[in-house]
Amino acid sequence: MTAFEKIVEKYPKEKRYTLAIMQDIQKEYKYIPKEHLSMLSEYLEVPMSKLYGMATFYKALSLTPKGEHIITVCDGTACHVRSSAVLMDELQKALKIKPGETTKDGKFTFQTVNCLGSCAIAPVMMVNEKYYGKVTPNVLRDIIKEYGGDSIE
Amino acid sequence: MSDASEKIVYVCCGTGCLANNSIDVYEGIKNKIEELNLNAEVLTEVKPTGCNGLCEKGPVVKIQPDDISYFKVKASDAEEIVTKTIKDGAVIDRLLYFDTNLKRKVKSHRDSEFFRRQHKIALRNIGEINPAVIEDYIERDGFKALEKVLSEMDGSGVINEVVKSGLRGRGGAGFPTGKKWKQCASYDVSPKFVVCNGDEGDPGAFMDRSIMEGDPGSVIEGMTICAYAVGSRNGFIYIRDEYSLAIKNMRKAINGAREKGFLGKNILGSGFDFDIQIVRGGGAFVCGESTALMQSIEGKVGEPRAKYIHSVEKGLWGNPTVLNNVETWANIPVIIQEGGDWYSSMGTEGSKGTKVFSLVGKVKNTGLVEVPMGTPIRELIYDIGGGIIGNKKFKAVQIGGPSGGCIPEELLNLPVDYDTLSKADSMMGSGGMIVMDERTCMVDVARYYLNFLSEESCGKCVPCREGIKRMLEILTNICEGKGKEGDIDELLEISELTSEASLCSLGKSAPNPVISTIKYFRDEYEEHIRNKRCPAGICKNLTEFYIDNDVCRGCDLCRKNCPANAIDGAVKESHFINSDACIKCGNCINNCSFNAIKVK
Amino acid sequence: MKIVIDGKQFEAIPGEFILQAAKRNGILIPTLCHHEALSGLGSCRLCIVEVIDRGRKKVVTSCLFPITSEVEVITNSPKIHKMRQTIIKLLAARAPGNEYMKSLMVKFGVESLDGFTGDKNENCILCGLCAKACEELGTGAISTINRGITKMISTPYDEPSPVCIGCSACASVCPTGAIKETMENGKKTIWGKEFNMAKCENCGAEFATTKQYEFVRKKLNIQETEKVLCPKCRKKLQSEKFKDIYQDVKPE
Repeated sequence: MTAFEKIVEKYPKEKRYTLAIMQDIQKEYKYIPKEHLSMLSEYLEVPMSKLYGMATFYKALSLTPKGEHIITVCDGTACHVRSSAVLMDELQKALKIKPGETTKDGKFTFQTVNCLGSCAIAPVMMVNEKYYGKVTPNVLRDIIKEYGGDSIE
Repeated sequence: MSDASEKIVYVCCGTGCLANNSIDVYEGIKNKIEELNLNAEVLTEVKPTGCNGLCEKGPVVKIQPDDISYFKVKASDAEEIVTKTIKDGAVIDRLLYFDTNLKRKVKSHRDSEFFRRQHKIALRNIGEINPAVIEDYIERDGFKALEKVLSEMDGSGVINEVVKSGLRGRGGAGFPTGKKWKQCASYDVSPKFVVCNGDEGDPGAFMDRSIMEGDPGSVIEGMTICAYAVGSRNGFIYIRDEYSLAIKNMRKAINGAREKGFLGKNILGSGFDFDIQIVRGGGAFVCGESTALMQSIEGKVGEPRAKYIHSVEKGLWGNPTVLNNVETWANIPVIIQEGGDWYSSMGTEGSKGTKVFSLVGKVKNTGLVEVPMGTPIRELIYDIGGGIIGNKKFKAVQIGGPSGGCIPEELLNLPVDYDTLSKADSMMGSGGMIVMDERTCMVDVARYYLNFLSEESCGKCVPCREGIKRMLEILTNICEGKGKEGDIDELLEISELTSEASLCSLGKSAPNPVISTIKYFRDEYEEHIRNKRCPAGICKNLTEFYIDNDVCRGCDLCRKNCPANAIDGAVKESHFINSDACIKCGNCINNCSFNAIKVK
Repeated sequence: MKIVIDGKQFEAIPGEFILQAAKRNGILIPTLCHHEALSGLGSCRLCIVEVIDRGRKKVVTSCLFPITSEVEVITNSPKIHKMRQTIIKLLAARAPGNEYMKSLMVKFGVESLDGFTGDKNENCILCGLCAKACEELGTGAISTINRGITKMISTPYDEPSPVCIGCSACASVCPTGAIKETMENGKKTIWGKEFNMAKCENCGAEFATTKQYEFVRKKLNIQETEKVLCPKCRKKLQSEKFKDIYQDVKPE
């Protein structure tokens, strides 16, 4: 059984599981490959355009592969008033990518999220599953270096 | 049964404390106990619990029956806690909570102003149980309300109790819960659905997260009681994709409830069937809107639909559906146990019971609090919250997230109450309360919320999509120094269209942050537009920092911590900021204890 | 059921939309995303009216608001007119070069775009009719993608769609003419895909793409052996058949 088959087997063959199946594909491959979208369209008998519409609507899904390290900066209101915008500016300067983008070498994906629920240690940032709290621009530089990024000038 | 040689250690493993490495504290204590073979003399159980609320001072560790609470605990403290407190019953003073209002340390968290002034109903079990173990919930009266309902009450009796309680939807709209159930029950249609809205998307709000992580059983029980009352056999709990711990703990709780016969077929032998499925969100704030949520459950994009026909009549797949928020569900078991009259004895005329708020932002005691409706906002911010960090000046508190409005200082005596807040152009919302100080720019706040909504709007209808786009454009221009006369009027004109003609409540409430900041802080807008200056020092193009040499003591903290090396000065001498090199990050202001750094 | 529209009383069918009831009684409410052949979208909001129900006034879209009680409707109050003007202004700002939007600006008295700028080559106002038509009448080749202010209409991956049959249902319902289709050398191109045309075996007209003809033939169970006929010639053929059936019937 292919990975795709393993995923769809978990659910009844009903249109209502479209999102759940797509999320599992996303988790498995770090994005939704075109072939899988096409196979899912045939399997569920849902037009490709609908699936493509869903893949571009839901931020949990992506059509391009994510980077090796996913940097998530919290831009929830609590973090915002504790200067998360400054962090995002500095990160943009350092990695030369905007939120939602991945560096050309595939090392880092920079994304924002609204509220990780850790408002007490705002501004909060995650690299993969690890949390960093009360991040200042200086600390940010060290964190990026830790994961093998270039230092900010 | 209080046996002196039996202790329970509660280690907070809610997301906030986990982010502060509380799992290392949990493991550390457990391992130490094993290593010292402590269980031979003192039978100790270490429980990972949900959020206690005082996230600012986490990780939190509580020891019972001694009633000792430790804060800001590190993994390296594990040994001392085990040997001194658990073994010998002694208090470790440095780990106690220092109450800034009482100006002393307190032994138990219950003695602190933060906890003493709260009244926990929805949050009753969080921090006291291991949410992954259903027996813990059962031990604290879990599922007793369900037993009562199935053995002594009928559907209309249950609905009556909820109507009497005066409970209003805690997700934000505040629709009377009992009325909603009654309407759904009135339709003789099958199947019917019961849905939990766990898509908490308001940035700065984590009430629902804490309940789903820390006491998932209460939500399950509430939904099952409703299903019985309205005649439903299928339930869905829609949990935001980002809340992986909530999804995990809810799954465990559902499995546990099934095993014990509280969920599934023939519940407690009553002949009543009901089961619940978890549906993960896809990362879309708009899916917190009830009709969009239902579209998402149906496997489509989360686009809301007109609510001219209510969901209680035609909801999921066109069938009668009761959709309620997590906190609403969590209140139901207690309302049934204690009675609707008991619940309505708390709160105000129009808003009964208690409400959970996430008190965050520039406040000292950041965290989750539950207070009776009618509590003045001032009490929440100053008595419970401890006031503004760094003793800076309060500016405004944003209530209701992107759908809400800001409350300025002159309105701080207002009580938290659905109707009072609406009249003040704010909104109860889900309970997010963001405290802002003099270093918050209100124009930037409006811009921030509109930027958020511009990406989260589904984009279907013109007033929302195009309206938000242009309002955001105007606000961004103002913040960048390109504001012009007429901008405020244009913002208000678009606001009227968007608030009246949008398809759903995301659009309808989108202009609220704009309207309320213009209403209470118009002068700040005008300063940006006319004088090209940001008084709070946040809008970079309109800000220049300088050091007041009459106040500067030359402590050098600012220079040492400047990421752009833009400050000059020798120790004990006045310092200077080089404007060309300054990146306006404000780090220096955060470090200065003398308020010497100002905005030109 | 009695309702009052703009001060006059009319009969309405319970459950019907205000727009239908008004139209039937000669009251025209402006629309943009409404089409008789497709189910209601409610995206343009141009058809908004004020409804007074049990003393409370609210703004609703007449295309989707069902009449379930004896309400009073105001279709063109100054408040409603102002909001319609703002809608037209916002849409014209989105597609400032589009002739249809320019004409609507004149019709609704919108004098200026108040400094809002947009892409001069943009013609789409995102009413959603094309995607709806493709979904309900065609093969679902196009849909809305993204969300919020980046929402747009597209084929998956912005590539020619394997399922597009070139029926042009999308282009024919588009109010602003935003969907381009071209005919060159007997081939139609739409959404980046080229199509061969089916020729009527009777009159020679190139009335549909071959793919569209196939699609319809299968749906209507027309045998492959049947002649390929354009709608006009097919009608002629049917009426001949009827003539045969009724040839002995004389009018009274």
